[in-house]
Amino acid sequence: MKSSSKRFVLDKLFKYIVITLSIIALTPLFLIIASIIVNGGNTLLEAGISFLYNLPPSPLSTSIGGIGPSLIGTLLLATTTIVIGLPLAFFTAVLAVEYPDSIIGRLVGVLTRSFVEIPTILIGVLIYTLMVIPMGRFSALAGAFALAIVALPYMYTYVERALSSIPWTYREAAYGLGLDKFKALIHVFIGIARRGIVAGILIGLAKASGETAPLLFTIGGSKYTYFRGLDQPIDSIPLLIYEFAQTPYEIYHRVAWGAALVLLLIYLVLFITLRAFVKRVEL
Amino acid sequence: MKGKMSRKDKLFLYSLLPFGGIILALFILLFKTLAENSLPIFLREGIHFILSNEWKPSETNPSLEYYGILSPIVGTIYTSLIALIIALPLSIALTIFINEFLPYNVKDLFINLVEIMAGLPTVIYGLWGAFVLAPILRDYVMLPIHRYLWFIPFFSCNPLSPLTIFTAGVILAIMITPFITSIIREAYENIPLTYREAILSLGATSYEYVKIMLSMIKPAVIAAILLGFGRAAGETIAVSMTIGNSFSLTTCLFAPGYTISSLIANQFGNAGFYHYMMNALYGAGLILLLVGVVLNTIGLYVLGRWRKQFEEF
Repeated sequence: MKSSSKRFVLDKLFKYIVITLSIIALTPLFLIIASIIVNGGNTLLEAGISFLYNLPPSPLSTSIGGIGPSLIGTLLLATTTIVIGLPLAFFTAVLAVEYPDSIIGRLVGVLTRSFVEIPTILIGVLIYTLMVIPMGRFSALAGAFALAIVALPYMYTYVERALSSIPWTYREAAYGLGLDKFKALIHVFIGIARRGIVAGILIGLAKASGETAPLLFTIGGSKYTYFRGLDQPIDSIPLLIYEFAQTPYEIYHRVAWGAALVLLLIYLVLFITLRAFVKRVEL
Repeated sequence: MKGKMSRKDKLFLYSLLPFGGIILALFILLFKTLAENSLPIFLREGIHFILSNEWKPSETNPSLEYYGILSPIVGTIYTSLIALIIALPLSIALTIFINEFLPYNVKDLFINLVEIMAGLPTVIYGLWGAFVLAPILRDYVMLPIHRYLWFIPFFSCNPLSPLTIFTAGVILAIMITPFITSIIREAYENIPLTYREAILSLGATSYEYVKIMLSMIKPAVIAAILLGFGRAAGETIAVSMTIGNSFSLTTCLFAPGYTISSLIANQFGNAGFYHYMMNALYGAGLILLLVGVVLNTIGLYVLGRWRKQFEEF
């Protein structure tokens, strides 16, 4: 009797501890979203819709201005990242799925996945060395290459999963019609795996619009000029937040909070869309 | 299989090879770039580059320059350890909470919350950490601990600034909790149903049930620790916004510090003005990469072996 009541008490205690710790683990998410809505909302209310297309303020100005060039930069970087990264992710996934027995197929699969583990700042350093120095200046293109490498393993994972989950019966049917691998891929497999491919694009967009570290030494952060070409410096919202938050100016901090709200909304829209396409989201 | 490959399939394989080549080349280029550019600093300072803590740039006289990155190395280890110590219990609790205590229809919502948290842009964590969390931590955590436990070396210094090694560690903990949770949760869910039934049929309380379940996924927890450490050590933006960025070699957690990645983020931009600083930063990056590769390889190996063990069922 005594031991069973001890078991009972221990069980209750255990439940309380687990629930408390879980609440502690999830609280920051709500606190972060709340403070971004409060602080960022404040900024947006004062600046109005022009926050999305105005230029940022100077440190001593009284009106908040906006994040126009950085917003355009983020959208442009995200698009360019997909254009560069998706073909690479797609064809590597095809290589790994269609030729799993070849050495190169297996090696490429392992290597592409392991890109997740490389600290993103080192990708920035790599692209700085390989592109920024030879080109002689920071550029949108360099940033997009860096982001494409960062997003690569994520895009790869979704495409690879979609391709490898194609049922064998469909494969047999396609090959039974006398299609070779290339034709089967174009006419049959892409159609079946299209959701996974869209998910890959969405994950790439999410990564490309949220990353900061790979952009530190690649895009140059030109906050006051709109797009002037892919070989020219550009800015992005995360970089603007990072730089403005570290200045001592109050008005820059307010712009950073407003930008964070815009970034949060972009991120949540992408997440929810992605969730509609796949059951499990891996960001 | 190989022998049966038709001419067209072979051609297709060959046309895919360039893409594989790009992946391979990127990987090699990363190591080559870091190794090549850091060679001068290793030749010049040898092991002292890692073992000493001096950051002496000189614009006029390169022979006076000296770089030792002990403080960022210690800072990286400290912040990642703090992050793990806080994140591990939270992640295990969250796993149990989601899998055992929640009804099926709410479970999905919480899984989504964890995934949203895992993917939140890191600069958002940094912004919130620097402006909201840091002052709270200083006033309600660091100052009281320092007042009463100052005799313990970790807490010996007065937190003058809210941006400290401890603050960065806590922010990292918040960031890696969802990451570690998803690794542990995947393993937990993969425990075969027959095992669960066996434990429950013995009349175990939920505490005893969970204890046995957790003991079965021990390798996955170890893997999560290694991968979490690697993730924390590589994180740049949120850390450099909250750690204070200063070269202080101290055991005290309430002082501002540096990590390898925040050092690179802060110094790389103007390193070109000096003769050896760029090399030193490439060297720091190489060390970061090697540590990450080793930790992650072991972590993934342990995880892979564990997965295989259960695949047989």
